[in-house]
Amino acid sequence: MKTLKNLLLLSTLIPMMAGAQERYGTRSGHITFFSETPMENIEAHNHKVSSVIDPATGAIQFAVLVKAFEFEKSLMQEHFNENYMESNTFPKADLKGTVEGMSAAQYKVPGVYAVTVKGDLTIHGVTRKVVEKGTITVEKSGAVVATSEFKVKPEDHGIAIPGVVRPNIAEHILVKVNMSYDKL
Amino acid sequence: MTMKSRTIVSLAAAVVLIVGAYIAWDSFRGHAETVHREAKYAISATELLAAFTADERAATEQYVGVSEQVLEVTGSIRAMESISGGKTNVVLETNDPLAAVVCEFDDPDVPQDWRAGAVVKVKGVCTGMLMDVVLVRCAAVK
Repeated sequence: MKTLKNLLLLSTLIPMMAGAQERYGTRSGHITFFSETPMENIEAHNHKVSSVIDPATGAIQFAVLVKAFEFEKSLMQEHFNENYMESNTFPKADLKGTVEGMSAAQYKVPGVYAVTVKGDLTIHGVTRKVVEKGTITVEKSGAVVATSEFKVKPEDHGIAIPGVVRPNIAEHILVKVNMSYDKL
Repeated sequence: MTMKSRTIVSLAAAVVLIVGAYIAWDSFRGHAETVHREAKYAISATELLAAFTADERAATEQYVGVSEQVLEVTGSIRAMESISGGKTNVVLETNDPLAAVVCEFDDPDVPQDWRAGAVVKVKGVCTGMLMDVVLVRCAAVK
């Protein structure tokens, strides 16, 4: 994740050198996913999502450690990591893209902004283009909160689900994103 | 049914029951409490970050492992941050201002007397490194 770290480093240095606008970042963003089927519901949480937004360019990045997804049932977590996500081979997932629908100046103006994120989503080593809708809220305190909900099809990322357990796992997994950013 | 047949049926039924009970237990079991698990490695926060910075792949193999493993990490508290979901990050100092070892606790598991600057010992499950080395399901080691 040297790219994220480099972006963080730049975020710290560039504003000081050029008087440029701040970046926003978090190391404790929250992503959940839900799989809902008549057989069972599966839910996992990851509170360790790293993300950086650069309002000047609209660039946005997210990165997660796959093993930081936590399930209520230990066996489900083992199957998720070992059989489906193969997290020893693909330990991270990330999204690199741009935020559209919000100007750099609007990050200074409290309000709720409907945005679109376009970018490359890499899960299980497979990268796909995505275009997802979301909301960025600039609070009166200056804090920036981003939320989004979208669906991911496991097979689109080369995740093979055996036929015997296919009825237990939704065809499209609902992903919920909730990030509270601080100025960097 | 002969005595021998009855015995075989009883034994088979017992085996089915035991296997069924094990599968049910295995399917529904939660996570073992970290504090009661044996740590595979004991290391300082500074050394742990240095290992990931020097060779992330090798450090992931060693400290994250193929299957979940617990580390015991010692360090000075840089900060304590309440995050969503009833959890708190205890951030351990590494002498690198841009990176730390972040230990995620359930709120009730954070000792009340922990403060920034205190040297503490934490057990947790290492999940790898993003900007920081991340440990989840952490527990204080007394």
